[in-house]
Amino acid sequence: MKPEWELWAQEAKAEFPKANSALLPLLHRIQSQEHYLSEDTIRDVAVLLKLPVPYVESVASFYSLYYKNPVGKRIIHVCMGLSCALNGSDELMHHLEGKLGIQEGQTTPDGEVSLLEAECLAACNLAPVAQVNLRFVGPVTEDTADQLLTGEVKS
Amino acid sequence: MIRLTIDDREITVPEGTMVVDAAQELGIDVPIYCYHQALGPLGACRICLVQVEKMPKLVTACTTAVQEGMVVHTRGSAVDKGRQGVLEFLLINHPLDCPVCDKGGECFLQDYTFQYGSAAGRYDEPKIHKLKDAAINEFIIIDQERCVLCQRCVRFMGEYVGEEQLLLEGRGVETVVSTVSHQPMDSQFSGNVIDLCPVGALLSIPYRYKARPWNLERAESVCPHCPVACTTSVTSREGHVIRVEGRPIPGHDWGWLCDRGRFGYDFGYVEDRLLNAWLDGEITSAAESTRTIGSWLNDTLEQHGGDSVAFLVGGQQTMEEAYQIRRFADEVVGTSKVAVSRSVKGYLPLGLNGTFEDLDRADTIVYLGQDPYDAVPVVHLKVRDRYRDNPGLKVIGIGAYDLTRSTVPGDAFVLEPGEEAAFLAYTLAKVAASNPIIARLGEELGDFSPTFKGAKSEQEVETLGRQLLESEHLVLLWDGKDPHMESVLLALRGLREDVTAVLPTFGPANWRGFERAGIAVDYDRLEAFVEEAIQGKIHLLFSIGADLLRDYPDRERAKAALAAIDRVVSVGLFFPEQRELYHAVIPGAGWSEVDGTYTNMEGRMQVAKATVQPPGQSRPVRTYLGSWAHALKKSFVLEPEWDPFDHNAGDLIAKDALPEVQSVPKPARPAMKDGALRLVGTALVMEGGMPSEILQPRIPKYPGRISLADASRLGIGEPGGELGLRGQQGMISVMVAVDERIPQGVLVLPYGVVGSPLNQLGDGAVVEAVSLEEVSLR
Repeated sequence: MKPEWELWAQEAKAEFPKANSALLPLLHRIQSQEHYLSEDTIRDVAVLLKLPVPYVESVASFYSLYYKNPVGKRIIHVCMGLSCALNGSDELMHHLEGKLGIQEGQTTPDGEVSLLEAECLAACNLAPVAQVNLRFVGPVTEDTADQLLTGEVKS
Repeated sequence: MIRLTIDDREITVPEGTMVVDAAQELGIDVPIYCYHQALGPLGACRICLVQVEKMPKLVTACTTAVQEGMVVHTRGSAVDKGRQGVLEFLLINHPLDCPVCDKGGECFLQDYTFQYGSAAGRYDEPKIHKLKDAAINEFIIIDQERCVLCQRCVRFMGEYVGEEQLLLEGRGVETVVSTVSHQPMDSQFSGNVIDLCPVGALLSIPYRYKARPWNLERAESVCPHCPVACTTSVTSREGHVIRVEGRPIPGHDWGWLCDRGRFGYDFGYVEDRLLNAWLDGEITSAAESTRTIGSWLNDTLEQHGGDSVAFLVGGQQTMEEAYQIRRFADEVVGTSKVAVSRSVKGYLPLGLNGTFEDLDRADTIVYLGQDPYDAVPVVHLKVRDRYRDNPGLKVIGIGAYDLTRSTVPGDAFVLEPGEEAAFLAYTLAKVAASNPIIARLGEELGDFSPTFKGAKSEQEVETLGRQLLESEHLVLLWDGKDPHMESVLLALRGLREDVTAVLPTFGPANWRGFERAGIAVDYDRLEAFVEEAIQGKIHLLFSIGADLLRDYPDRERAKAALAAIDRVVSVGLFFPEQRELYHAVIPGAGWSEVDGTYTNMEGRMQVAKATVQPPGQSRPVRTYLGSWAHALKKSFVLEPEWDPFDHNAGDLIAKDALPEVQSVPKPARPAMKDGALRLVGTALVMEGGMPSEILQPRIPKYPGRISLADASRLGIGEPGGELGLRGQQGMISVMVAVDERIPQGVLVLPYGVVGSPLNQLGDGAVVEAVSLEEVSLR
């Protein structure tokens, strides 16, 4: 447990009437520091908010933007929704897999890039759409796909 | 009360009842997966859809409370179509592998699909695959593909037991039931999730792929492992017990079992099971052993008379067998020396004995000496059930260590070992000194005053006293260790007008039944037997289902007693400890092999049916008794069979008058050298009972428990270590671990730990830690 987490927990709790409401913002804040939520982190959060460990674990596993395993510095989500599928998101994913030498759901061995699927990102006008560290990029064409891997990222 | 109509039949039920329960009362079956009366409504599975007139849509019967004048239809085309739709969803990703599923034939998913579901699915997409054999502990696997996510198991562990070890992980179709941090679940009550699972997801590992339900025989039985005697259903196939399930008694018992009872059924088939007769260390034929023992009996009676023969009965016998033994002793042998082998000295008068219904109504529950979680686990669950109903429940632990635990929070009074009775008398004397009996007890205690480990003020003692007097429904769970407690309990009962119920948590499991069968169980008789044996007055002993060395509180004395008897015959399922002390060991039959009645800690008689034949040469005790009578050329007729039930009292043994309050002496505190430890014995259901291979991974590796302070002083780290102990009567070595509930200067050790016999040193003994080398040189 990092010393500042206790303060963060107090701040999150102060925003809501009940401790379990503070759980999501606290998990986000800690994840932004740790990059993912380890089992130890989940236990620490449970202690900080006086919640049962399985509850925190269930919540953390429910939302796909909480990472339970280490992820790369650059996280690429490719939308798999209907509009994107019709506009070639499958090909985009295969292209990226080939470029990176990893499968969907994996992180490159150097810890630089993670390639993940996303359910509909609600940006059909940009189909096929991707996110680089949660920032929308699209429509991604074969020509612009490589920019997902090289372009400047904000974390 | 609310009146409503279900399927054209009227019923009146209390307000707040769910439609599903009202229907069940009428005998109308509404399908359910997620709902369980003990857990309350959830509405996760949607299979219990029913139609309520004037409601626009189908509603779930498990979450809809009854209302005045409601008209419910549990069948009909709309309902059936709704259920068919629900099943279609539940089966979308189900592997449909019933032919290889253990649950096939006794599965609610299968049954309801047969009844309501469609013949074929319309979903052509590939199914999502998940883990099919994820172990959640040593006994249970989960097939995540078959799970319908009803959450019964998760809610049972988290809400009902209060040990949150299961959770739902993930979201949507990817949700699975999993354990916390993917660590094996270690709750004592884990096995219940197998019974709770309505589909083939949670499966018993020892039972896996053993049988199909239609090859099975089932018998109603009672768990033999501890005094709770939970009702069970025993499954056997081809003469082997292969499964034990809980057997709910509607309105009385949920049918929960602890893992000891559920998985400890294999003692009949472990390698150590006695299958042959042994005479003087050699295997012999059954006929030879019977003849020889018959001639020993004949000779002993001729030379020394009936009273030179003694009988010692242990924990394995049924009431009927105890009755047969008692009659054999009376009528054939002519001896009055029949004793029950036991570990604790206390006795509880039947008039004080409460029932589990008392736990359901209790406002105050007191643990005396022992944590019920260790000794009688399902009683802990009953206390927890009461706590869930009544969060104001007061739980008080009085013993040599903190007896409370987080699942049922309470107030702990931690005393010097063995001072519970004196402390309780002292407490009563503080608040009820005007009562002459209490005043006398107070005087007898003289200047006794309790020393508390952890802060407790005199004020808190007075509060405790008033709680004991003023509680509206008081239940005490007593470990039976201190015989003087009987008087304090009688005195407490005398002070109170409201219910005062005591539940004995000590064994042997069927002791109350032995009493009913005419065998006095008081410790004095056992003590008198041991004394007479040492004096050479006993020439032949029949030890039936007993193991004196294991049970008797003083091992050296037990050895001396057995060694002084000319001929010692043991009848049992296993060799007794130090078999060289026995001249004949013959194989007995036990639970699941003989029909019989067991009486539990409530004084409730329950029948356990035999379901398999005794293996090898083992025979029920009545067979041996008959052949020994034959050897004496005496008749021993057991027909008509004795019926233990009293038809006026029902299944509870009729209460008798209460005895007088005896005196309670001031406890003597032994001198403690620096760094010495007091040994405190406790019953642990996983230890000291019948052996089991299935349970092996769950037998505690570190059965001894000490405080953190003592552990760091003695160099015991995580997860535990071995400690040598020297007392006045010898040395043993013990595997110990840290338990924060134990105060400094105390070592808690269960009875009957193989290789670390507590009775070698004595319960309550002052011991000092010595090096392991010293112990091995003993």
